[in-house]
Amino acid sequence: MELLKPGTRVDFVSKMRPAIFVSIALIIIAIGSLIYHKGPNWGVEFTGGTEIHIKLAKEVSIADIKQTLETTGFPPDVVQQLGLTGDHEYLIRFSPELVKFDQIQDFQTELENIIATNESFKGGSIQRVDYIGPRVGKELIRKAIIAIILGCIGILIYVMIRFELGFALGAVIALVHDTIITLGAISIMDKEFTLALVAALLTVIGFSVNDTIIIFDRIRENMRKSGKLSIRELVNEGVNQTLTRTILTSITVFMVLIPLFIFGGSVIHDFAFTLIVGAIIGTYSSIFIASAFVIFWRERKGSS
Amino acid sequence: MRASRGWILTILIVTVLSLTLLAPTFLGDSVPSWWGKLFPDRGIRLGLDLKGGIFLLIGVDSEKGVEQELDSIKDFMNEELKEDKILIKGSSTSDDSLTIQFFSKADLDKAKSVADTNFNEISDIGEDNLSLSFHLKNAYVADVEERAIDQVKQVIENRVAELGLVEPSIQKAGDNRILIQVPGASEKDRQRIIDIIKRSAVLEFKIVSNTGATEETVLAGLGVANPEELEDQGLMLIPGNTGAENEKFFVASADSQVTGESLSGARLTFDEFGKPAVSFSFKGEGASKFGVLTEENIGQRLAIVLDGTIKSAPTIQERITAQGRITGDFTTDEAKDLALVLRSGALPVPVEIEQERTVGPSLGKESIDKGKISMIIGGILVIIFMAFFYRLQGVVADIALILNMLFIMGFLSAFGVTLTLPGIAGLVLTLGMAVDGNIIIFERIKEELRTGKSPLAAIDAGYGRSLWTVLDANITTLITALILFWFGTGPIKGFAATLSIGIISTVFSNVVVARIITNLIYEEKKVPAISI
Repeated sequence: MELLKPGTRVDFVSKMRPAIFVSIALIIIAIGSLIYHKGPNWGVEFTGGTEIHIKLAKEVSIADIKQTLETTGFPPDVVQQLGLTGDHEYLIRFSPELVKFDQIQDFQTELENIIATNESFKGGSIQRVDYIGPRVGKELIRKAIIAIILGCIGILIYVMIRFELGFALGAVIALVHDTIITLGAISIMDKEFTLALVAALLTVIGFSVNDTIIIFDRIRENMRKSGKLSIRELVNEGVNQTLTRTILTSITVFMVLIPLFIFGGSVIHDFAFTLIVGAIIGTYSSIFIASAFVIFWRERKGSS
Repeated sequence: MRASRGWILTILIVTVLSLTLLAPTFLGDSVPSWWGKLFPDRGIRLGLDLKGGIFLLIGVDSEKGVEQELDSIKDFMNEELKEDKILIKGSSTSDDSLTIQFFSKADLDKAKSVADTNFNEISDIGEDNLSLSFHLKNAYVADVEERAIDQVKQVIENRVAELGLVEPSIQKAGDNRILIQVPGASEKDRQRIIDIIKRSAVLEFKIVSNTGATEETVLAGLGVANPEELEDQGLMLIPGNTGAENEKFFVASADSQVTGESLSGARLTFDEFGKPAVSFSFKGEGASKFGVLTEENIGQRLAIVLDGTIKSAPTIQERITAQGRITGDFTTDEAKDLALVLRSGALPVPVEIEQERTVGPSLGKESIDKGKISMIIGGILVIIFMAFFYRLQGVVADIALILNMLFIMGFLSAFGVTLTLPGIAGLVLTLGMAVDGNIIIFERIKEELRTGKSPLAAIDAGYGRSLWTVLDANITTLITALILFWFGTGPIKGFAATLSIGIISTVFSNVVVARIITNLIYEEKKVPAISI
């Protein structure tokens, strides 16, 4: 079975320049949102504190939930909708200063009371109660960032050995591009940045690198075979030769992610959201950032 | 690569091995007991987020830390003043203050100056009549208490880590509690974890003065009426549990010249009768102290006191420095656990288990059920899609994919990796890359067919040309995964572990398994066309 007519050639290279502006715009929006929201909306794993996940029988506004909870004497820091609107799932968060460990049991009893008596809370249930001591998460994030930077250096070295420096830089730039934009998407949607999202982000990085290398490999092969063509033609040829694969792989990736996004439940929902954004951006950047950078690097070297 | 016997055998062996490693996962506790000796007997462990586990709330007696601090001030003063031949008349402690009484005003003045130079920073020093009082400053008390909790947490972390349980969560909760969550622990593990955590593991070495079957006989042997009289002689009464009926009580020196703090290691050994024992070794200063203690007391008996009970009391034959052994009535597991707690150090202050319960998955049971169903839906869609799009080759890819899953699970269980949500993310990435690998190879075969190659030549060229594409993509990701595993912690490590194992298995199933199955179908036949 053929997806595209053999010999189909789309002119990607001419669209690389406008694409760069799209990417720059996306990065500015992403960073802008991160600044506006004062960094990611860190989950309880990172800030420390108490997090209570409840599921109600019907839709109740965040303001109503906040107001009702204030009667317990423990006004929550944040009340947040989880998952899709129809799930009626909410996250209640307290900072460690607001509710001490010893008081969680009291609050839980109060909350159970409310669920039993309050009209809009009736039929609800407490899904989980999590207490996280402070200072656990900061260390984790610090180490994660160091690990990712070292990972990038590893990629840089391997790709430089197997390909050449321009490819290596292109792959890492695309990876950083994908990470920033995905982080921006999480920030714009005001999703809670949990450990699950850290895992999703790492997956996005892996996906991005894999996708880039596949296209690079074909460009490299073309360079060896037909050295007479210009770098622009070689890259365009490579992207087109792998186009069927890019489309088919994307189809299978979305076959897995879309059910997760729709039916996955609140926690998995955000996880799948991150992966979907990352997969789209990762596929796009392999062509329009990583490959475009290879052209830029070669032409710059050629002219100098 | 031909479908040689060697390759077919390799695939079969890996498949059987994976199934074997996974047996405990499917059969649970019904695997026979000899199984554990040959293979891991635990199967795949699920993390706290996916399965829940046990939850222990531990109260730390941090006030004891303050008491110890006051004791050490007293000991310090005692030592310092001894040099000036000043004797302390008596002392008392309450909450966060210490009072020392002296015989004369001159002694007190001298003591006051020693106290001022050494303890002015941490306590308010006052004098009254012939007594000197130290009242620890509030900030310092808080500091001491916090340090005690931090130390307890560290010791517990070491101990739980040595048990080989991956990804337990240990954190401070409130002012003087520690919250421990251990994923998916079985009933057998549960008791063991509690025992290991509670164990103070204070090891002391003392010289024995007398032994006896009852408290009375051992005291009578020394001519004293009650245990209080022993104190004046610098001795104390200690219960014994050495297995000898006529030695249930010991009298030994009150001070311990050498303690477990000087240990550099401890491990399970067997004594000359083949009974489990624990051997220990000393480091630097500890070794020389132990040497002095044993040299000065050759012919005497050395009491090895663990958590306030004498475990064994061998007669000292010669000067011992580096090594020693604790024998007693241990089972192998008990000796192993004792070695573990000795290695990880003693708890600085006593702890108490305040709450113990099993907790559900931290991601929420419903979330997990929904996630599971959606993953299965996604997986089935991909399998159908591959078979639909690539026909027979698609089915080959599906078989390779399912075997790949099996291999990954088998090795996860062999390495005892605890599977958590980040781990599953790593798994999703690998399986995605596996499907991608198949697509790359199949598209390449189609390209080769278009150039007019025969089916067999196209398969050869397709696999051959894509080999380095698949390898480069996977190796780059593997390098990242290994770096993340090395430098990351907790969830990052979990992600990296499944990803690393996954990539290796994926390359094997893409490059070897799918290829060999394809060759089995087409090789040696004159095929007019391939189903792709």
